[in-house]
Amino acid sequence: MTSVPVSDAAPASFLDKHAFLLRRLHSLSGVVPIGAFLIVHLITNASVVWGLINQRESGDNHAGVATFQHEVNFIHSLPALLLIEIFGLWLPIAFHSVLGVYYATSSRPNVAHYPYQDNWRYTLQRISGYVGVLFIFYHVATLRWGWTFLVPGGTQWTADHAASTLAMALRGHESDLTLAGLLVAAFYMVGVSLLVFHLANGLWTAAITWGLTISREAQRRWGQICFAIGAALMLAAWSAVIGFVTLDPAKALETENRMKAGQTAPH
Amino acid sequence: MTTASPTMPQPAARQRTVRFRIERCDGPGKPARWENFDVPLEPGSNVISCLQWIAAHPVTVEGVKTTPIVWDSACLEEVCGACTMLVNGRVRQSCTALIENILADGASEITLQPMSKFPVVRDLAVDRARFFNDLKRAKGWVPIDGVYNQGAGPGETPDAQAERYVLSTCMTCGCCLEACPQYHKEEDSADWNGAFVGAAILSQVRYFNEHPTGSILKKDRLDFLSGPGGVNDCGNSQNCVKVCPKEIPLTESIAAIGRAVTIHQIKKFFGVKR
Repeated sequence: MTSVPVSDAAPASFLDKHAFLLRRLHSLSGVVPIGAFLIVHLITNASVVWGLINQRESGDNHAGVATFQHEVNFIHSLPALLLIEIFGLWLPIAFHSVLGVYYATSSRPNVAHYPYQDNWRYTLQRISGYVGVLFIFYHVATLRWGWTFLVPGGTQWTADHAASTLAMALRGHESDLTLAGLLVAAFYMVGVSLLVFHLANGLWTAAITWGLTISREAQRRWGQICFAIGAALMLAAWSAVIGFVTLDPAKALETENRMKAGQTAPH
Repeated sequence: MTTASPTMPQPAARQRTVRFRIERCDGPGKPARWENFDVPLEPGSNVISCLQWIAAHPVTVEGVKTTPIVWDSACLEEVCGACTMLVNGRVRQSCTALIENILADGASEITLQPMSKFPVVRDLAVDRARFFNDLKRAKGWVPIDGVYNQGAGPGETPDAQAERYVLSTCMTCGCCLEACPQYHKEEDSADWNGAFVGAAILSQVRYFNEHPTGSILKKDRLDFLSGPGGVNDCGNSQNCVKVCPKEIPLTESIAAIGRAVTIHQIKKFFGVKR
């Protein structure tokens, strides 16, 4: 037996000194603003499907496209949008991602020996984090920062033609669904599904981290609510991806052009 | 008259045997190796009784004479935790690992390995010194020492007593640590400081913080668990509660410590003394 030092020497590194604050900011940033944003973002994007019921455009025009364009126009009318994006989204996401990956590297998954559902959930939370970081980077770089060399077909997303350019970027071509486009679309399906899981499970574990749910019954009840939130968001996410991948960009462009003309033309 | 070697196993022809695959190691830093043994199946036999049989007949299935296997055990009734090891890859006490039950679960052989989260002393015996050191760092005791008789301690309600009783049954066996994907082996004691303490320590802090006299050290314990290696290092895989042989509600303890640390840190931030 070795002699046992009882050591409480002051930890040295910045991460160790502020371990509590950083851990809790990591937890909080996942809920607000990132989680709150993801909910709004997915509901907005799913408007290409749920917009079909609101009859914004009559006749053969695509009401979903019109609703989505209307939502995008609203977002782009916000003052200081770039500042909101930088301080409300990109920096919090970068903070959550960098710390999250650092924390996740301390994990040694052991589902082979302990194949419990909770253990799979734990493992998937880390996998979804890694894949989610890659997906969000690709998503923002291609559609927001204009890194069109990463987009099959080289489509540049524009806010004025939100649905048509998004559909082209996901399909890999102006009209056809190409093989490369199919890969992008599949990456979107996997990426958003994992991120929705990451949020739903993160909401559940955050309640344990902060000490809101202590008893097994409380954790079970809150788990059911998180499952419902996750299922609803999953529906929205799949609607959005499938809605845009199956969209006809040419028809969407017509609708958008008509809306743009309607906005600028004097009545 | 011919004499059979006393070390050769001589099971009767009709007696069933069970194959043991055992991971052996001659000492710290030495390489691990596997040895196989066929042990006669006795009614009610458990892993410990089979290890005792092998100690009396230390011959592998290849007929090679070997050394008896080293393992730890004491109470043989699942209250001391000393005989904890990996039985068919899963952590548990070997004294209550009944061979008939393991075979009934469909296993054809029984593998024994030392716990993977603690340094091996020899064969199946491990050194859990870090575990006990973490209990000291967490001040896992009730301070009652004084220079004069301080009289009777504060009273306790039956409800609080009932809640704390199950927490008191922790036997520092380390099953929760072994199954935890956030708890890792640290060979060097210099690395213990800052490494995750695991579910058992978190539950013991809850136990001593809820004790009317033990709560005197509550702030020290919560300061310790706020830092690196404390409650925030838990990843909520919840394996701990599923492998705990005493059925201690470890995940409830973790959440309770999470709440206590949250309140403790908010009070500290705003300078609230009590």
